[in-house]
Formats: sequence, structure tokens, C-alpha cells
Amino acid sequence: MKRIFEDRRTALLLLAPALLVYTLVMLVPVVWSLGYTLLDGNAVAGFQYTGFDNFARLADDPKVWQAFTFTLKYAVVITTGQVLLGYVLAVFYVFVLRRSGSVVRTLTFFPVVLPTVAVALLFQKMFEIAPQNGLVNSVLNALGMGSVDWFGSAGTAFFVLALMDIWRSMGFYAVLLYTGLLDIPEEVLESARMDGASGWRLVRQIVLPLSLPVLVSSLIFSINGTLKVFDSVLALTNGGPGLGTTPLTLYMFQTSFSFGDYGYGSTIALLLTLVCLVVTLAVFRSARRDVNA
Amino acid sequence: MTTLTAGATAAPARPAPRRRPSPRTAGRTLVRRSLIGLLLLVEVGPLLWLLLGSLKSQRDWLDNPTWSLPTSLQWGNYAEAWTTGNIAQYLQNSLVAVLPSLAMIIAFGVAAGFALEVLVWKGRGPVLLLFLAGIMVPGQMILLPLFNTYFRAGLTGTLWPLILTYTATGLPLTVFMMATYFRAVPREVFEAATLDGASVVRAFFSVAVPMVKNAIVTVGLVQFFFIWNDLLIALTFTTDSSLRTVQVGLLNFTGEFGATQYGPLFAAICINVLGLLAIYLFLNQRIMAGLTSGAVKG
Amino acid sequence: MTPIRRTPRRTMLLLATGTVAALGVAACSGPADGGSASAGAEAEEFKFLVNTENTTIPDLLTSLSEGACSEQEAALPLSVETVPQTQLDQRLQLLAGQDALPAMYAAGNSPALTKELAENGQVLDFEQALADLGKEDAVLPAARSTIEALYGGFNVLPFQYNIEGIWYNETLFADNGIEPPATWDELVAAAQTLKDAGVVPFAASGEQGWPITRLISGYLFRDLGPDALQKVADGEAELTDPEYVAAAQAVADLGAAGFFSEGVGSIDYDTAFNQFTSGDAGMFYMGSWALSTFADPEANPIGADAVGFMPFPAVEGGAGDVDAYPSNVGLPMTFSAKAYGAGVDDWLGCLADSYGDASLTEANTISGFASTAQIEDPLAQQVQDTIAASDSSVLWFEALFGTQATTTSQTNAAQLLTGAISAEEFMSLVQADLDAE
Repeated sequence: MKRIFEDRRTALLLLAPALLVYTLVMLVPVVWSLGYTLLDGNAVAGFQYTGFDNFARLADDPKVWQAFTFTLKYAVVITTGQVLLGYVLAVFYVFVLRRSGSVVRTLTFFPVVLPTVAVALLFQKMFEIAPQNGLVNSVLNALGMGSVDWFGSAGTAFFVLALMDIWRSMGFYAVLLYTGLLDIPEEVLESARMDGASGWRLVRQIVLPLSLPVLVSSLIFSINGTLKVFDSVLALTNGGPGLGTTPLTLYMFQTSFSFGDYGYGSTIALLLTLVCLVVTLAVFRSARRDVNA
Repeated sequence: MTTLTAGATAAPARPAPRRRPSPRTAGRTLVRRSLIGLLLLVEVGPLLWLLLGSLKSQRDWLDNPTWSLPTSLQWGNYAEAWTTGNIAQYLQNSLVAVLPSLAMIIAFGVAAGFALEVLVWKGRGPVLLLFLAGIMVPGQMILLPLFNTYFRAGLTGTLWPLILTYTATGLPLTVFMMATYFRAVPREVFEAATLDGASVVRAFFSVAVPMVKNAIVTVGLVQFFFIWNDLLIALTFTTDSSLRTVQVGLLNFTGEFGATQYGPLFAAICINVLGLLAIYLFLNQRIMAGLTSGAVKG
Repeated sequence: MTPIRRTPRRTMLLLATGTVAALGVAACSGPADGGSASAGAEAEEFKFLVNTENTTIPDLLTSLSEGACSEQEAALPLSVETVPQTQLDQRLQLLAGQDALPAMYAAGNSPALTKELAENGQVLDFEQALADLGKEDAVLPAARSTIEALYGGFNVLPFQYNIEGIWYNETLFADNGIEPPATWDELVAAAQTLKDAGVVPFAASGEQGWPITRLISGYLFRDLGPDALQKVADGEAELTDPEYVAAAQAVADLGAAGFFSEGVGSIDYDTAFNQFTSGDAGMFYMGSWALSTFADPEANPIGADAVGFMPFPAVEGGAGDVDAYPSNVGLPMTFSAKAYGAGVDDWLGCLADSYGDASLTEANTISGFASTAQIEDPLAQQVQDTIAASDSSVLWFEALFGTQATTTSQTNAAQLLTGAISAEEFMSLVQADLDAE
């Protein structure tokens, strides 16, 4: 019986298209890029072999470390925000809205499907100060407070960025986590209620442990996206002011394409890849421990 | 991994217990309503502001507070956005780039997932790992070599670089997710399908693909939003303004309108937002069903 | 069972048909769009890549293609492609790496990039090309020497020949009893008077950054002399030296005093222009390319008569000369050496013959091309006379910097005004990039 599924030729046939495209358009370029890390120069001026100079430079470059810390800060804040608020929403769907929530769920999913650039333009206008006050500053003024130059300093710019990215993605995580909560047997909840657990205690002692697996996979999903953030930063702040909101991805993009430093750019990309790898593995491992425990 | 009950868990099918009427009900309803109201205000409010803004005249924008209602409805903003903003061209480019990529991602990804999970052969473990590694590679890593290659192959100046790159970058996650889906299907199902002598390929098309229909929709949607929103790849490979996708077009928008033409700018954003919302509402049931059927659950 | 199963199949079929059709369109769009922009020999268009912000040159070229250069247009039609200025360098790098630069293009945000392109054979040698066409005299000697000093050779064309200084609103000055300031202290006093009267003293685009760093270099040249930045480039001085930081501090003080409008970092080029031309701001540091906007009543509601021009003020006790104007050729345009060939040379010839006149008469902009046209606009005349009378010139802040230091300088400039970073921090950020180069 099993033999029919041990058909190498069929396996190859079904696998071939995916493997071919994947190898040619991803694997080969990745290896090629690794080669660039040992070179200096760009396509205009030509390349020279410089050994591990790029790696030495990476270790000393204060900008890389600034971008690196920003990437981590962004990933931690946004992932926490997305998953936490998504979880709160999911709990809200299950325990407060119950069956009637389909319209609300649909509406809160809206921002997820909007084009990043459109959302960024919207937030730029909402937080605008010049030449005209945007919605937020108008409200502040009406409350008797002064306007804030939101994009003028790294701190406030990061605040707007975080707000935007959490706003647009929490609906997605809410639906994802909602399905996890639905899988909790009603009997378990009922018996917990009988024992007098309610509200916060019910969530903490019953709901949270039982929905941990889906919570962890949401975390992995989220952190892999936030570590590679590019589109929303580029569209909202373009990394500014200064390097204030520049993540590794954007710094790599500028180094390679604006400053014409392909070798160093590839080295930064390699650093980013390693960070993604390490973080994902770390989350995987700790998750496995938690689930098994 | 949750077992896949083929979309049966779609929507809250579980009967919610009837709540007994109690004196606290009234207060609870109030809290509940205000929570819902707050949620909708936060999620939908900015969009309403966007819609209203797109209908305001330039005078309205400059002279009145930004939250005020438009004094007259300027539908002309939309006409201007459509023509000056080149929206039609951008939309066409986006569609031409995204649809074929999506079709290829799904076709190749489902087949590969099946080959890697259902079929038994030496070396399938390492190959699956190879695809998995691709999930972690940032797009920046492959841009330079690809630009080189596409140029030498004479593909710049067309949308092919976008199509190929989207397909390749979409595959790792798709293959991984499809493999997980197939893992959840009991093997006996496939074995039964081949009992009457049908070939594996036949079993794939007649049994495996229909079984993961919901999953395909989910994966397709997740990938669609990824590719549709892509900026990195589109920005690098569209060397010609006639090839700009919606995202790249929008990014260059403020320039084309001058700094202060708020109405048309908002109208242009609105067109993009409403277009995607229409697709979304059309497919809403499917998305929710797909997502709730355990797609991304570990 | 059947009705339900049919639906997905039909959807699949639809999707498949759509895909095939889309693939067809993608495949066809290649040749139709002119395919890859490679060798000039088989070019079907005179391709011109320019930054989106610059509308003057594309407009003039289009007008020439319908007039003086219509013959060339018939042989090789002009095709303009735009890219936002912030993405220009990136586009040039990518295209140059493939020898795919268009026939004519904006030469990059820093002279360093233009020089690099020239060293690698991507830029046409205009000395040779114009000599071959017998049009050596088409470019004014002054413009040519400015180009050679900045770009390491005759590597770009002077579609603009600018001096920079401070434009002021004469009406607002008169209303508040302000004389055009001759020294930095007077400038600060004038700004204070304007601010007290409820007028924004300076309009400036912090998004672009350079209108702010120009104030630093202006101060440096007046205070330390015209070779202040050359010394930095040669390594004889550093931006972090106290006398250099003092210049950044002087500019930071303007910001701290509230002389720029709120949110200066997000004000883009057009908005800054609007602030000045709508009478909301009293002063505006800008190059003489602004003349074309000032002369357009539509774009300049306060009217050309209300606009005055003054040189960057002197710094008390400084070594610089107030008559040494910052001069440049704007963001210059150049030709690709690889795409130069039949048809493209005719375009160069026609531009050499006709651009100078067209620039003056149609755009009210002074170019570095020889021209016989008469200037009618008094403001343009004043600038033209200033250029003629000036016998020394200075550069701008980033003129001798590499791409990375230029970017750092311009993206951090607004923060200097808002106080987000200090003068020392700003100068050391830029110096760090200079050291890395």
C-alpha cells in the first residue's frame, strides 16, 4: 500500500516547479550576496576583494548599531502590541460579543487589508503640523494644548509609527487568536465558572494556558515580520528624522543603493538574516519548553 | 497542530449558552455597547476622516478645522486623482504583477507541499528545511544579484522581474503552510483514493487539492496582501514610471500633486482603500472561514 | 453536492484565464515600452531622467521639441522619466551598473557621484562632444569654470547657472520698518521684528535639508573665508573644530528663537515656496532658479515687484567677502557616454544653440548657455548683473562631501533647528561620515 507513495518520479514532478523557481530566484542570489560581503565597491566602479574588512567595519559602525537597536526596539514593541491587543480583542470577541460579533470582527479587520502606503499617507496627514494642523494636533489645540511636531524627533516619530503598525495589524491577530480561543471546550469554562472563577481570573488561569500554542505561533509570525519591517517605515518617516527611525533593512537599502556600497550592504543584510534566524529559533525553543511543561 | 476539520469550525459554530436575564444585564449591555463603540471609533474612524477629506474642496481644507464636514461635496477630486494620479495605469500594473504570481505561488506551493509531506522519499526532510530557511531571509539579501540577472536577461522594462520575485519569495511560507495542512489530513484518505488503481497524480488533483480548498484560500489571501503591499521589490525593479505599481505610485503621489492638493490626494488614497475593501468584503466569508479553520495555528 | 462543487471550479477557471491574459500583457508590455534601455545606437527615443521636483527643464525641453528642436524630435522623440530626488542616486547607481543610463539624466545629488560616474565612463566629455559639433562657444566661460571646479571636468551641462542668497518680501520689510540686513546680527534682529509682528521670519524646507545647511556654509564662508570647506575636505580642519561648530550653533539659535515655522522638518520644497510666495514668510534662502516661479503671477501671489534679493549677510569680524556668492549649476544634467550616438548628438547641438534663449525668455531662468535674448524682468536683470559683477564665488556646504556625508547632513539639518540634536552633535555626525570616506 505504502509503495505507491514512494514514487520518486512523481515527487520530483510535483516539486520541480517550486524548487526550480525558489533555487534560481532565492537560493542562488543569497549565495551570490554572501560573495559580495568579501568585496568592496559597486557595479559602477567595479569590485575589489577585501577579505573580511566589511565585517570589521560592521563591528565598528555606530550607525549599524543604532539601526540594530532600533530594529530590536521596533520588533519588541510592535510584536508585543500586535499580539497583546489582538489577544485582548479576541477575548472580547469570545466572551463579550459572543455570536453577534461578526460585523464588528469584519470592521476591525478593515485596516489589515489597506495598502501600507495609503495608511502611511493617512497617518502623515493625521499627525501633520505644517503647513496645516492635522486631525491630532487640531484636537490637541481644541483641548487647549499646543501642537506637537510629531515627525520632528525620533521619539514621537516612533510613537506614530508604532501606533500605525499596531492599528493596522491588531485586527489580523485578533481573528487568528480568536480561532484559538474557540477551540477551548465550553465545558472547561463552565466548570471553572462553577468553581467561582470569573473575569480576570478565568482568563489568567484557564484561557491563557489553553491558548498558549496559538499565542506562540502568532508571536513567531509577528516577530518575523517586524524584524524585517521596511514598507511602513519607508512610507511614513523614510527613516527620519536623521537615522531616528531607520531599521537595519532601510539602512542596508540606503547603503547599497544610495551610497553604492554593495559589499557592505550585503554584510548588513547577512547580519539581519542571522538576527531573524536566532530570534525565530529562540522563540521556537522557549515555546516548545512552555508547551511541554 | 489543530486537526483540520475542513472548515467546519468556520465562524462561531459552537452554540453559546443562553444568558439568563439578571438585574446586571442592563449595565453590562451599556459597557458592552460603549466598548464596541470605542473599538469601531478607533478602527474605522480614521477611514471615515479619509473619506470625508477626499470630498472637501481646497478652501475647506485650508479654512476650516480638519474634523469639520465638507461644506460641499467635491466629487471632482476623484476625477482629478484618476487622471492626474495615473491610478488606472498603476492598478493595471499591480494586477498584472500580482495575479500571475499568486497563481504560481499557489499551484507550485500546493504541489510541493504535497510532494514533501504526503509522498515518501529520501531527502524530503532536508528539502523542507531548505524552504523553511527561506522564510527568514530578508528580501534585501537577494535584490542586488537579481537586479543584475534580470538586466542581463533583458527583463527590465517589463513586469517579469516582479512576477518572478514575488513567486519565489512567496513560496517558502506557502510550501511550509501547505505541508502542515497535509500533515493534518489522515493518510488513509489518500490511500483510499489510490485503492482503485488511481495514480498519485490523480489522487493529488481529485482528493488532496479539494481537501485543502479552504487552506488554499487562506494562504492565497495572506500572500495576496503581502505582494499587493510590497514596496521593496516594486521600488527596486520598476525602473520605468509606466511600470509603477499602486504602492510605488502612491509613494510618489505628493510630488505629482504639489504639496497642498489635499482633496485629490485623499481621493487617490480612497480609491486604493475602497478597491481593496471591495475585494475584502467580497471574500470576507472565505477569509474568516479560512483563518478560523486553523491555517496558521501551530 | 454538485451545485456547491461547481462554484470553486468555475472560480479556478476564471482565475486561470485571468492569469493567462495577465501573463500575455506582461509579456507584450516589454517591447512596447522600448524594452531595456541599453545601447544608444538602436535607441528609439531621446530618454531624459530627471528629478520630479524639477519641472522647469522638462517643460522647456518639451517646448523646444515643438519649436527649435522639432527636427530632432521627429528623428528621436523626447521621452521624460521622473524620479523623486531622494531616490535619484539609487536609480543612477542601479542603471550605471548595467551601462543602462538614459541618453540624458540628472547627474546625482552630490558632485562626488557625478565624478564617480565620469571616472567609470558613464558621462559624456562635453569638451570633446561640443568641439565635434563645432559649438565650443555655446557655454559661458564662467559657468564652465564653475563646472570644472565642482565636477572634475566638463562633465555636466549648465541648464541653470545660479547664485544663491536670501530673497525677502519687500512689502513686509517696509511695513515693519526693516532695512535689508547687511550683517548676521542685523539678520537676527530683522527676524525678531518679523516674528514679533506675527510673520514667520524664514521659510525653509527641512524635508530637503539643504536650504538649512546652506545657512551653515554661508556663515562659515563669511566668518572663516571662502576656503573654509576646502580645508575640511583636505583634512586641514574638522567640522568639529570650535569655529565650525559656531556656525552650526548660529543656525541652531535661529531655530531655538522660533524663526522657522513649526514642523520645519516635514515642510517640503513646494510648501516652503508657498509660504514665501503667499506672503506668510518674510525671508527665503533660495537659488536664482526661483526667478521663474517669482515671475509667474499664478505661482507668486505677492507679485514679482514685492520680491527683493540680498546677499548672505556678513559676519562681524569675519574673513569672508559679502560679494562672494554661492554659485552653482543647480542639480545639473548630463549625457550618458554609452547612449551617445546618432540622433542624440543632434539633440545636444540643438540644445547648445537654443537652450540659453529659451531659458531666459520662456522660464525667466539664467542658464550657463550663451544667449542673445533680452531680459525684461527687473529682478532677473538684477541677478544677471550681480553674476556679471561678481569676481569670486563660493560653494555650498556639501559640495565637497561624498554621498553618505551629504545624506547625513541633509537628513539631520531639520533636527538642528528643532533642537533635537545640538550643533556639536550635528557636526560630529557629518564629520564621522567624512572620516569614513
